Amino acid sequence: MAEKLGVYICAGCDIGKSLNVDELVDYAKKSKLASITPVVKHSAVLCSPEGKAEIEADIAANGLDGVVLCACSPRVKWDIFQFGAVQVERVNLREQCVWSYKEDPKVPNQMPLIAKDYIRMGMMKLSKSRVPAPEMPETFQTILVLGGGFTGLNAALEAAKIGKDVVLVEKAPALGGKAATMYKSFPLSAPFTKAEDTGIAGLIDAVNANPKIKVFTSAELVSLEGAPGLYTATVNAGGEQKLEIGAMVLATGWVPGDKTFLAPMGYGSIKNVVTASEFEAMVKAGEIKRPSDGQAPGVVAFLTDVSLCVQGAHAGSAEVCAPIDPLPEAAPAGEPEVVAYPSKESAKHLAYSSEITSLVALKQAGYVREKLAGSMAFVLYDHMMVPGINERYYKTAQDDAGIMLSKATITSVKQDADGGVLIGAKDTLLGADVELKADLVVLPTAVVPVTAFEPTLNLVYRQGPGFPDLEMFDGFADSNYICFPYETRRTGVYAAGCVRQPMTMATAREDAAGAVLKAVQCISSANRGVAVHPRSGDMSFPVFNFQRCTQCKRCTEECPFGALDDDEKGTPKPNPTRCRRCGTCMGACPERVISFDNYNVDQIGSTIKEVYVPDDMVAGGPRVIVLCCENDAYPALDMAGFRGKSWSPFVRFIPVRCLGSVNAIWVADAISKGVDGVIMLGCKYGPDYQCHFVKGSELCSRRKTNIAESLGRLGVEAERVEQYEVSIDEYDKVPGIIDRFMTEVITKFGPNPFKGY
Amino acid sequence: MSNTVRVQPDLKFVQELQQVGGESLKKCYQCATCSVACPLSPADAPYPRKEMVWAQWGLKDRLLNDIDIWLCHNCGTCSDLCPRGAKPGDLLAALRNMAYRNLAKPSIIGTWMSSSKYLPILFLIPAILYMAIWNMRAGVLGTAFPLFVANGHEWKVAADGVIVFGGLFPGDYFIDPIFGAVFALMVFCFAGGIASLLKSFESMPRTFIVGRGPEPSFLACLIDTLKSEVAQHSRFKNCGQEEKDVQRFAGHLFVFYAFLALMIVTSVVAMGHWFGAWFLEHIMGLEGGFAGLIAWAGHTPMPLWSPVKLLANAGAVALVYGMMKLTSRRTSLDASKSTSNWYDWYLITVIWGIALTGIGSEIFRLIGQPVLAYPTYYLHLVCVFMLIAYLPWSKLGHVVYRTVALAYARKIGRLPMGELN
Repeated sequence: MAEKLGVYICAGCDIGKSLNVDELVDYAKKSKLASITPVVKHSAVLCSPEGKAEIEADIAANGLDGVVLCACSPRVKWDIFQFGAVQVERVNLREQCVWSYKEDPKVPNQMPLIAKDYIRMGMMKLSKSRVPAPEMPETFQTILVLGGGFTGLNAALEAAKIGKDVVLVEKAPALGGKAATMYKSFPLSAPFTKAEDTGIAGLIDAVNANPKIKVFTSAELVSLEGAPGLYTATVNAGGEQKLEIGAMVLATGWVPGDKTFLAPMGYGSIKNVVTASEFEAMVKAGEIKRPSDGQAPGVVAFLTDVSLCVQGAHAGSAEVCAPIDPLPEAAPAGEPEVVAYPSKESAKHLAYSSEITSLVALKQAGYVREKLAGSMAFVLYDHMMVPGINERYYKTAQDDAGIMLSKATITSVKQDADGGVLIGAKDTLLGADVELKADLVVLPTAVVPVTAFEPTLNLVYRQGPGFPDLEMFDGFADSNYICFPYETRRTGVYAAGCVRQPMTMATAREDAAGAVLKAVQCISSANRGVAVHPRSGDMSFPVFNFQRCTQCKRCTEECPFGALDDDEKGTPKPNPTRCRRCGTCMGACPERVISFDNYNVDQIGSTIKEVYVPDDMVAGGPRVIVLCCENDAYPALDMAGFRGKSWSPFVRFIPVRCLGSVNAIWVADAISKGVDGVIMLGCKYGPDYQCHFVKGSELCSRRKTNIAESLGRLGVEAERVEQYEVSIDEYDKVPGIIDRFMTEVITKFGPNPFKGY
Repeated sequence: MSNTVRVQPDLKFVQELQQVGGESLKKCYQCATCSVACPLSPADAPYPRKEMVWAQWGLKDRLLNDIDIWLCHNCGTCSDLCPRGAKPGDLLAALRNMAYRNLAKPSIIGTWMSSSKYLPILFLIPAILYMAIWNMRAGVLGTAFPLFVANGHEWKVAADGVIVFGGLFPGDYFIDPIFGAVFALMVFCFAGGIASLLKSFESMPRTFIVGRGPEPSFLACLIDTLKSEVAQHSRFKNCGQEEKDVQRFAGHLFVFYAFLALMIVTSVVAMGHWFGAWFLEHIMGLEGGFAGLIAWAGHTPMPLWSPVKLLANAGAVALVYGMMKLTSRRTSLDASKSTSNWYDWYLITVIWGIALTGIGSEIFRLIGQPVLAYPTYYLHLVCVFMLIAYLPWSKLGHVVYRTVALAYARKIGRLPMGELN
């Protein structure tokens, strides 16, 4: 607990012009925490070198262990306001008081009251905060690369290059993966106009020759047990062995999509209709031949429009997916537990692979021109997806007189009498409805991630062996974070290559390097006791008071990252290095046994209680507490203030790490104190969620239903507690959300019946 | 699908198009900037975008029967604005070149006209012909550079005489029969070309135009076309608004009216000689009065004050002026946007040849330099032959083909967006 506080009130940025800072200094000096607050001052410009020097001098002279800086938003100048081990609490007088103040003619002059509320709240919050002292485990430094294809080989080499020991586990008897089966790749180097050798043989040689890389082929990862920095991997390569692993790069890649999805385009029923992967194998073997008669085709058509196959597709809808047997009620004793993992493949993977199927069609059209003199290659596409530098490759293909391209919607693929294939298409560049004849038709091959079929990671985690909610991404181990492509729902596991999304080899190469860097960051964060992502460097961690734990398992079930295991009784077993410090467990716990040193139930509850609530709502105005997400809502509010937006003077904002960390008791505290309403302002949830912690705002909305029921029992209208979704860029909508709540809820229902008790 | 059309791409045709001036056609990515920019493109199925796609796919049938290549007046705005440097203007020019090559028979002349490597053949035919005449006449007259005095209706060689081109190359026996025959043959071939052009248009599907009255007759359309597009260059005027386009419009207008003036001069001479002097005076035995006036008007060489000679000289000046404008525009083209092909250069060179040798002949004749005058006149004859005899297969064929196509387009209602009310 901070026990010697310094309070500083900045007069810069309009604060001094709008508020009487001398009066605020006097006010803080007389506060109930005055006894632990030896220093209260104002400063002309707190962030100036002089302002900062004064704070540093006071810290040295008075032995302060916490400073309350009443100035601007904590999202700015954070780099200036750092004082070593001394805790810092930022009181946002600029954005949330001075700049966004709106005078209510019926209850005027609220600005000084807002400022005083926030100063009291800041002092209380800091007084309840401790400096976290995390455990700093000695971590394993070895990086496990799962998958020995193009991505995995690159990842292994990258990791070895930065001095890490690498264990490379490959399922097949030989390294190389899909790249080894290809004749050529799309361009990998300048000028990006020619298909080129994949370079896979060189990569394999380099990996085999590298003393830092230990290769296991015909091997499988039986299990990955423990936590980031401290994993034990059990690898079976003709015999099980246990390996100490720091972090893992998941590069298990893809498998060619199920061909039966291509039946609507003639695959299976017409001999001269093949898939791109079959065609690649044909070229790799040396000759392009029609399956029907072994003749070299004069015209090869590449159809990448797959609308015939994709219509109405969704995972599990296809006949090819065998129905999944219902799970037995309980596994018979002695038999290993079978984990249900329904296939996530569907025809939609054809559409998801558009970038690859576009480039493959161009590449293979190039094969036709290279191998067969005087031949023509048609490419009929719904879209030609060649992002970035690959535009050059497209241009080169286009320049070839024998490669003919058109947008088209394929309507039919039929057998012609002479062994040719007739292609019906509409909406083409050549006219509405056309028919083309080809000697050989090549249909796209879908890129389907290995994780669509099996958990792959084989984690020994309470929440299961694989990634949760992967059906959202149709099996791709895709990132939940648009800015952090290698992150997964499991700290310590970083996905790269086609297991993550369909991508070119040039992209996969970059992906491998990126994922390795994340793995390195993970290992070196774990051994310093800090969070990896997204609260990178956060030293706090959840502390459990097990005496009061009722083993209800809510925390272990709701943790979005599977950080908590449990024992047979259900007592949670924390794994700090898996944890992302969002506080969802703290929000979940009905017994309030989980806390962070610098963010806990008592601290925020006490802060809420510092809000002054006038007994008479008409004379003093209502009061509403806004619990706002630090990641989206709080920045949106800052931006709104920055841009001169304003809102009701009767709301008080309290930042929370995530709406998932909001404990119901805080709402109860507020209502019982007479606060007229509580807004929970968080990010969007649902299929297109934006939550930094994936599940936080969704969980909050579920818990809110329970809170509303409890309030109803107390005779308080459920509508007084509301959750709203905002994204970080919706600064223009935030004031409207707040003001609408004030008029539609508070004006409608009147004062909180608990007011004045 | 009743409207399904079988598409049969032709790789050789694509390569052929690339060789005759459409080498960048594959670069098109169908953004349609060209069709939007074109001031003459119709609203329905606008060109040149669709031609670019057809060309990329080698759809020979469609391109060879496409009327739109004649609607284009080749201002090059599409090529200037093309984000890919695909040069749609050049492609349409290339397609017209293909039409010049293929429409009229015999196709061997089309082949000879398609490449500079055949130029010696085209040149040697008239060069040998007129050299033979010159050679023979020199034997008869006793000199290759004779001077003449008038002797009734005959020219007599005399040391103190003047230069008379008709004396060395008598019109009655050599110039008029040869050119008459060449002209008649050319017209005959052209007629065949026009027939196959119209046939190709008719093979293409028509668009039904809502709200359009009964289709006008081809003759009415042809008269409208001559009055508007030909006489006033009305489409040409709208084709591109930049300085270079205005220059091109003016240059083309001057060249067109210069040729018209020179054609009138030629007609007057022919009428005067064959109708006035030969038919009225010689056959009918009429003297003086009307017959004399007509015969006199066609009598060469003319005095410089003769209205016919004035018109001829004015035409020559206009021709040089117009050609200077057209040539300077063509030489200043940005090669990354538009290029000139062999057909362009052949026509420009031959017209320059006619203009310069024509003026040169007159000047050398007036200053009495037979050694310069006769060879220059000889070259003039060769150039005129090269223009007229090969006309249906040259770029100048557009005089007829474009006129016919524009009239046909009027008939079927295929008009630029701007001309639809």
